Amino acid sequence: MELSQVRYFATLCKTLNFTRAAEQCNVTQPAFTRAIQRLEDELGGPLIFRERNLTQLTELGRAMRPHLEAMLDAADAATALAAAKRQHTPSSLKIGLGPGIGAAAVADAVKEVLKALPDAKIHFEESGPAALIEAMLTDMLDCALLADDCDMPDRLNRWPLYTDRAVAVLPADHQLAARNAVTARDLLEETIIVSDRCGGFAAQLASITGFSLRLQSCNGAAAQMLDLVAAGLGVALLSDRLRIAAPLTSRIFGEPELPRRIMLTAVAGRPLNPAAASFVKLCRARAFH
Amino acid sequence: MVQQVASHGFLEQVVREGAMFPDFMLPSAEGRLVSLDSQLARGPVVVSFFRGEWCPFCRIMLAALAEELPRIEAAGGSLLALTPETGGLALTMKTFHNARFDVLCDVDFGVGLAAGAVFRVPKLYRARCEAAGLNFPERHGNSAWCIPVPATFVLDRDGRVAWRFVDADFSHRAEPADIIAALRQLGAQ
Repeated sequence: MELSQVRYFATLCKTLNFTRAAEQCNVTQPAFTRAIQRLEDELGGPLIFRERNLTQLTELGRAMRPHLEAMLDAADAATALAAAKRQHTPSSLKIGLGPGIGAAAVADAVKEVLKALPDAKIHFEESGPAALIEAMLTDMLDCALLADDCDMPDRLNRWPLYTDRAVAVLPADHQLAARNAVTARDLLEETIIVSDRCGGFAAQLASITGFSLRLQSCNGAAAQMLDLVAAGLGVALLSDRLRIAAPLTSRIFGEPELPRRIMLTAVAGRPLNPAAASFVKLCRARAFH
Repeated sequence: MVQQVASHGFLEQVVREGAMFPDFMLPSAEGRLVSLDSQLARGPVVVSFFRGEWCPFCRIMLAALAEELPRIEAAGGSLLALTPETGGLALTMKTFHNARFDVLCDVDFGVGLAAGAVFRVPKLYRARCEAAGLNFPERHGNSAWCIPVPATFVLDRDGRVAWRFVDADFSHRAEPADIIAALRQLGAQ
C-alpha cells in the first residue's frame, strides 16, 4: 500500500465525504477516488459504502481504520523525529507510572530520547491506574506503565513490557537478610508495611495465602516506605525493579511468587509528539529482562 | 500470495530509483535511536527490509549480508536492516547472525509504508501463518497483519535511491554482489 492512499483513507474516515476529503488532501476527486479503490483492491474489499446521501465505513473499513491510522502515525513520527532532531523542536514526554512501578526499567529509553532531543522536557507522574488513564484520555499524559490487572478501556493500546515480582525489603541486619529468599510463612511474625501506592503486593499475598498477616498501612510512596523500613517499623513488599540502597536490602519473595505484568499503554489513534513517539517505539522495540 | 501481491500493481508503489527515500529515525536492536541522515553523513547507505526473524529467506539474506559487510564497507557503504518485529526480536535476529550492522525496528511499519513496501497479508497466507503458530499481532505489537516486501535500496549521500531490488516473490532477494556493484558505481561518480 502507498502512504498517500492510507492518508486519503484516514482523511475520508474523518470527513465521510469524498469531495471534502479530496480537498483537504489537495488532490482532484478522481485521483482521490482511484487511490481509495486501489487500497480497497489490496485490502480485499470495499472500505466505504458509497451511497448518495450516506458515506460510511464498511465492516472492513472499520476494522482496518485503527491499523492504518497507527501505520500512518508511525510513518509521520519516523520523519517528524528525524526533523525534530535536526531542528531542536521543543518537545515533551509525560509518562505515567502506576502504583509501585518505578522508572528504572525505562530510564535507558528516556536517556536515548534526550540524546536525540536534548531540549525535551521529561515529566513523570505516579498515581493510581484510573487517574493515569483519565490523564491519558484528556491528553495530560502521553503514555503510562500500568499493571495489567487494572480496568483499561478499549481505546487504550497496550504492549507487555516485563513481569515484575515482589521482593521483601528489610534492614541489612534483619535476621531474614541471611536467607536467599523470603516466604509468606517467614513474614507471619513480621509487620508488613502496606501502601496502595506501592503495588498492592501485601494484599495479594494475604488473599492468596489466607494467612492473617500483620499489616501496617501507610499511604506513602516507595521513598516513605523505605524510610519506615529503615526506622525498623517492619518489612515492605515492593517491586524487584526498584533500586534498594544500603542500609536496606531486598530478598526475592519466593513462596508464593507475586508476579505482575507491566504494560506500556497509550491512547489508540492519538498521534504523539516526537519525544513521546520515540519513547514508545524504543520501549516496544526491545525486550525487558 | 506472490501473484496477489504482484497483481495489485504493488511494485509500482515502491519508492523508485531517483526518488528520495523517506527520512527516518528508528530504535535499533540495542535500544538506540538511529537516524538515516546521521548514517548518510558517513556515505551511501544500504537499506534492506526484512519480514522477520521467523522467515527462513530473511535468515539466509541476513547471513549473506553479515558475511559481505566488509566488502560493502570497503565500497563505501553502510547497512541498515529494518524489521517490523518488536519485543526484542530485532536483537535476536542480529545476535543470531553476529551482525555488526544496525538492525532497526520499524515499529508499526512506518518507514515500510512511507517507502511503499508494506502490504497486508492475504487471507490464505495468514491462515497458514496462524496454523504454523506465527503470531504477528504479538510479534508486531499491532493486529494489522501486514509485512514488508523484502526490498533492498542503495541510497546516495543525499538519501536518493540510486539502485533498488524489489520482487513480489519473497524467496528472491538482492544479490550482495549487485549491492556492492551499485555502491562502487556511486563511489566512482
